[in-house]
Amino acid sequence: MLLLPLIEPYRSLSIIGMCKNAGKTTVLNSILSEMGTTGKTLGLTSIGRDGESVDVVTQTHKPGIYVREGTLIATALEMLKYCDISREIVETTGFPTPLGEVVLVRARSDGNVQLAGPSITAQLAKLSGMFFSLGADVAIVDGALSRKTLCAPAVSEATILCTGASYSRDIDTVIEDTAFATLLLTLPEQADFSEEERAACPGKALFRMEDGTLRALPQELQLADALRSQAYAGVRAVYVAGAVTDALLKPVLMAGKRFDELTLSAEDGSKLLIHQDTYDKLLLRGISLAVARATRVAAITVNPFSAYGFDLDKEELRSRMQARVRVPVINVLEDLNLEDMAWRADDRARIAAREEAEQNADHSHCCGNEEITL
Amino acid sequence: MSLSFAQQENIGFRYIVDALRCDSPYGDARVRKLRFYAPHERDALLADLKNICAVMDTLKPCAAEYGRIERLMMQLKDIRRSVARCEEGPLNEVELFELKRFLLQSELIAPVFAQINAEARLEGIEIRAQSEALALLDLDGQHAATFFIPDAYSQTLRAVRKEKRQVEEALRRAGSETERAPLMAERARLAAAEDEEERAVRAALSEKLRPFLTGILSCMDAIGAFDFTLARARLAQRYGGVMPELTENTLEMEDMVNPRIADALQERKREFTPVSIEAGKGATVITGANMGGKSVALKTIALNALALSAGMLPFAKRARLPLFAGIHIVSEDLENVDRGLSSFGAEIVRFNEVLAACGLGDGAGKPEGIHMILLDEFARGTNPEEGAMIVRAVTRYLNRQNVMAVLTTHYDGVAQEASLHYEVVGLRDMDTVRVKGEIALASPEQGADVIASHMNYGLYRVTREQGCPRDARNICRLLSLSDEILRDIETDAGNIARKCE
Repeated sequence: MLLLPLIEPYRSLSIIGMCKNAGKTTVLNSILSEMGTTGKTLGLTSIGRDGESVDVVTQTHKPGIYVREGTLIATALEMLKYCDISREIVETTGFPTPLGEVVLVRARSDGNVQLAGPSITAQLAKLSGMFFSLGADVAIVDGALSRKTLCAPAVSEATILCTGASYSRDIDTVIEDTAFATLLLTLPEQADFSEEERAACPGKALFRMEDGTLRALPQELQLADALRSQAYAGVRAVYVAGAVTDALLKPVLMAGKRFDELTLSAEDGSKLLIHQDTYDKLLLRGISLAVARATRVAAITVNPFSAYGFDLDKEELRSRMQARVRVPVINVLEDLNLEDMAWRADDRARIAAREEAEQNADHSHCCGNEEITL
Repeated sequence: MSLSFAQQENIGFRYIVDALRCDSPYGDARVRKLRFYAPHERDALLADLKNICAVMDTLKPCAAEYGRIERLMMQLKDIRRSVARCEEGPLNEVELFELKRFLLQSELIAPVFAQINAEARLEGIEIRAQSEALALLDLDGQHAATFFIPDAYSQTLRAVRKEKRQVEEALRRAGSETERAPLMAERARLAAAEDEEERAVRAALSEKLRPFLTGILSCMDAIGAFDFTLARARLAQRYGGVMPELTENTLEMEDMVNPRIADALQERKREFTPVSIEAGKGATVITGANMGGKSVALKTIALNALALSAGMLPFAKRARLPLFAGIHIVSEDLENVDRGLSSFGAEIVRFNEVLAACGLGDGAGKPEGIHMILLDEFARGTNPEEGAMIVRAVTRYLNRQNVMAVLTTHYDGVAQEASLHYEVVGLRDMDTVRVKGEIALASPEQGADVIASHMNYGLYRVTREQGCPRDARNICRLLSLSDEILRDIETDAGNIARKCE
């Protein structure tokens, strides 16, 4: 009963990972099992495909998703044959996936399921609505590889962020990068632009001037050009309508201009796709980041075991992680104690064989890059 | 039909097709694959049109029923492929679910349709509830909108599920992985057995459904026919459709409308002038001012004739027209010049093709029914002397054939070769002084707009030969063409008039 108290206040929840093998499915199974005793009905789906018993990317053992009777599942048509629950087909959604249309199924018995939900945020949000109208108390979206858009507040009220040794061999990297991801997800809410103003944003960005007036970034101008120009000298806050990327901010930083308490906000944490380096430089230039809709990170889970054959010290990882963030940190395999480790020997043998074959491959940081591209 | 997509677009036909709003995928399919009636199908067309009128007449008294049936039809999915697959072999659980959904929906739609049909009395459309087929799929008799094979349905299934449930309960209590592993293995074995039995049940169900598939397909077909009829009735109601009288070879249209042009004008706060025209076998010529709407008249005729053959009511106050065997347009701006021809050359090639399609020209067979040929400013791309000669000859030729031809032209002396001659009223009745004053007040670039607002787009029948038209010269004058040029034009006109005398 470790996760339940942390997630109980929320009606919708997403689980996202810093990398593969961060222990997302273990966390999900733990929630499913803990929630099974509360009598609550769960609606369950994933962004894209998840739930295979062998990881299709790294060929390592993955725990299956085991649901309780009564759970609602949204998965692609082709995945139904891998769901060994007694199935009641409840609804077809019209959401296409490479594995067929997403279908809503009610589990009429306990059993294993494989999830392959839609990969479009708007469809995930609609699915949650369908779950609730079919009687679900809680909707959970299982994230695939580093899909941060999932934690968009439109999809879920709170997020569990999973990280672990599979992210990097270097414990400092694991902790720093995870702490930074958490920081971006939990930025403060901006107060400069109203919801109506944001919704009506005609271009790429809005500006709030010192005198309180609102201005939009003209189509032909880049953000950096505007911030550099004299015409926008009195900007107090900026709202960027789309993704905030390193590429967008680099010209702003290169201008070398020092701003006096400028707030730059994005719609939510999933729209911030920047490196720590950029973030630090922004702070130095007097620019602080904020979001229009804050995400709640309900917990961070750490998995000290790596799928690539090396482990971090479990207590060091947990306690150092906890020291860096204000969110509760949980060790998946230790504290949740769900799976025994028998399969790990197998996996390691398999990986050793493969790594020998791909000598040039550098697995030490295999997932860190994908984090940024999404 | 003989019109290309671009031509259908150009005359405003695609616009009305896009304006057809069906509620069900079965109706949508009919819009996507429009059926064009051939001349020998006139009875079927008349029945179809009568149904549209009957729906139109009942839209108001049965408004609540129509609203309800539209909401029910909106929830339908197109599952004809699943039905076809059921002929071949067993359906999967999602296909059975969707089929059950459809059957449930048919039970809701049928009684509402019956209420409507008691008033509308539609010919050849009957939506029947598919209750017998539904009874097969309603395994627990709950009329639930989901699909699940209940334990009670098969002894084997009940036994397997009972055993599986016991294992699952043991699993819930099991703590360690060593305790769970053998249970999971046992569960997997039982789940496979359950799956196999469910598969057998689905195969048996699919088998039992087979005799009902024809009925299910006709139910879908009837829903599609009704939905399509309703969409056409709403369209006719919106733009003023009328039940036409079908003739052999005469056309009499009163106050025709072209919805696309009417809507475009309305956006600019202007009104469409309805087109009234008669035409018969042979050639009818429309002459008149530039900007006067000759091409609009031609497009409106084509649109309404084509709408009729696609089973829609003509947009007019009164309509008498044949069900044409083909409708053809030759218009320079629609010809494909990719063939390496000049626009004039392309027009001639196209005209030849049209004649052949109408069963005219060299070596053509006898046509079935009458064709309509519309020529928009034929031969305008060549020099005026030869152009006029060509159009006169073409008019004489068409006037002798068993076709209904309507031509617009600028050229002199064409009208007397035709059976009927219409002219755009244009600026004939305009108060020149007033218009000149308005133009003076407007900015230079608004001059043309001012003239357009005084232009009478109506057609009138020319019965006797009238003098040389003056509208083009009037427009030049109103738009302040240089005085020197204007004087020269008048001198020339005087010379021509003297020469004619």
